[in-house]
Amino acid sequence: MGSTHFGRNQLISVDLFTDAYRVTGRVLVGTGGIHAELANPSSDFLELQDAYISRIHLPGEIISHYKVAAFRKDNINFIVLQDRREGIPVGTQHGRSIFTRGRSLSVFLTVPSFEITGEIMHDGKIAPREILVQSIGRFLLVFSAKASASLYPEISYSGDLILIHKERIGIFCLGS
Amino acid sequence: MARIYVIDDDEQLLRMVGLMLDRGGHATTLISDPINGLEQIKQDKPDLLVLDVMMPDMSGHDIARQIRAYKGLETLPILILTARSQEVDRATALKSGADDYLSKPVTSQELIERVDNLLQKRENRAKPEQGILIALFGMRGGVGQTTLAVNLASALRRLSQEEVCLVDLSPSGGQAAMHLRLQARLTWADLPPATELDWSLFKERLTIHPSGLRLLAAPAMPQSATEPAPELVKACLALLQTEMTFTVVDMPRVFSPTFTAVLEAADIALHVLAADVVSVQTAVQVDRLLSKTGATFRQKSYVLNHIQPEAELPQSTVERGLSARVASKINFDPNQSRALAQGVPLTLTSAKSPLPTMMNRMAEVLWQRVINTANKK
Repeated sequence: MGSTHFGRNQLISVDLFTDAYRVTGRVLVGTGGIHAELANPSSDFLELQDAYISRIHLPGEIISHYKVAAFRKDNINFIVLQDRREGIPVGTQHGRSIFTRGRSLSVFLTVPSFEITGEIMHDGKIAPREILVQSIGRFLLVFSAKASASLYPEISYSGDLILIHKERIGIFCLGS
Repeated sequence: MARIYVIDDDEQLLRMVGLMLDRGGHATTLISDPINGLEQIKQDKPDLLVLDVMMPDMSGHDIARQIRAYKGLETLPILILTARSQEVDRATALKSGADDYLSKPVTSQELIERVDNLLQKRENRAKPEQGILIALFGMRGGVGQTTLAVNLASALRRLSQEEVCLVDLSPSGGQAAMHLRLQARLTWADLPPATELDWSLFKERLTIHPSGLRLLAAPAMPQSATEPAPELVKACLALLQTEMTFTVVDMPRVFSPTFTAVLEAADIALHVLAADVVSVQTAVQVDRLLSKTGATFRQKSYVLNHIQPEAELPQSTVERGLSARVASKINFDPNQSRALAQGVPLTLTSAKSPLPTMMNRMAEVLWQRVINTANKK
C-alpha cells in the first residue's frame, strides 16, 4: 500500500489515531499533501480508503476492514506519515517551503494516551504560545517524530512526519 | 528453485512481488484472495509463503495462525510483507507465527535476500534422534526462572522453527501460561497415569502458542507440593524427547523425587540465581543436597540473572560463593515487566535488550549443537 499517483493527486498511506483506535488506510491528497486536506474548510471530515482498524491497546491486531471510512477532523489526535513529502510541500531546489523554513527545535508534547517527541521548524519568536498560535492550520507538524503510548512506552510509532491536532495537545515542551 | 506462494489483495503489488521472485529464480504462485489462498496452501504445501497483512475477509495474521495450527504446515516459512511498518507490527507478525517481516515498499534485493535466508534455514533444519531436554532450576523464588524458561523456549522455536515444548512443573500456580498470554484448558493435572500415557493422549494436553511453541501448562490453582508424580513426569519427558527437538522445563521450586527425576533426565541443567546473598546461599545448599543424594548431571551451568538495576553482589563474589564460574550473565532488563504485562516474551519481539540478546545467543548455541550432530551423521 505505497503511494499511488492519479494525475496531480495521489493516494498516500497513513496511520491515523483517535482516542481509542489506530486506523491504517489511504487518503487521496493533492499537491498540498494531507496537511492541506486537513486544513480544507469546506469539509469537517477526512476520508480514508481501505481502512484497517485496530484497538489502541492491541495496535498490531486488525479487528475490522472497510472500503471507505470518514473521520471527523476534530476527533483525530494525530497522523503518522513515513514520508514528509506526503504531508506538506517541502519546497524545491530554489528554497524551502513555508512549512520547512526556520529553526529546528526539539519538542515533547502529549495528546490523550500518547507522548510525542520530534522536531518542529519555526521561523519567529521561540515560545510555545507563538508556535502553537502562529503555525499554519489545525495540525502541528513534528518531523522525525516518535509517538509512544503513555501507559505502554514499548508501543511506539515512528514517522518522518507526525501531524498533531493542536486542540488535543495537553503538554507542550520546547527544547533547543 | 523453490515453490513460493504469494498472497496479497493488491494485484499490482502482487505482480511486482511475483516478478521479483521470478527473477530470483523461484517458481511463484500469485493469489489475490486470502481465503482461497489458505486452502491452496493446505493442499499444495509450498516451500515458502510471502503474505500481506491488510487484506479484506482475512488478515495475514489470521492466515499465519491457521497455517501454524495445520498439521504438515507447522514449519512452512512465512515472510510477512506489509505497509504497516511499525515495531508493534513486526512484533504482531512474529507472534502470529511468521518467521520474518518486511515493510513495503521493498526492493528486489531485500526481498530475495530474506526469502533465500528463510529457505536456507529450512534446508539446514536437522532433527536429532532424541530431542534436547533443558531444565531450569533453583530453589530461590523471584529470580526470573520462569521468565528465562519462557524466553529460551520462545527463542528456540523462533530460531529453529522446529517442534519446541515448554513444560511448567510448578505446583504453586502456573505462570508460564501468563507469560505467553495463554489460557490453558488442560494442564499436567489432567494427564492420565504414566502407564496409560501415549503421544496421542499427551499432545491433546498441550496448549499451542501462535508462534508454534507448545506448552504443558501447570494448573492455575496451587497443587500439593509432591505433584506431579515422578513416574508421570518421566513418562512425559520420554515422549517429549521423542517428538520434540527441544523441551524446556521450568522446574518446581520444591526438592522432591520429581525434581531429581527431571534433573537426571536433562541434557542441560541451568541453575538460575540472582546476584544477592540469599540466592547464592540457597544455590550452595541445593548443590550440597544434590551431591548428598548422589544426583548426576550430564551438563550443569549457573545462570546469573540480574533482576534489579543494581546488583547486590558483583559476579566475582557470586562465583567465589559458589566456588564455580557463572556460564551466563543476564543484565537487568527494564522491558521485562512490560513484556509480562503484555504476554509477549521478549524473544518473540525485535527487542535488542539484555534478556532477549542473551536468550537468543543461548538458543543459537543449542541449535548449532543440533545442526552439528546432524552433520556428523
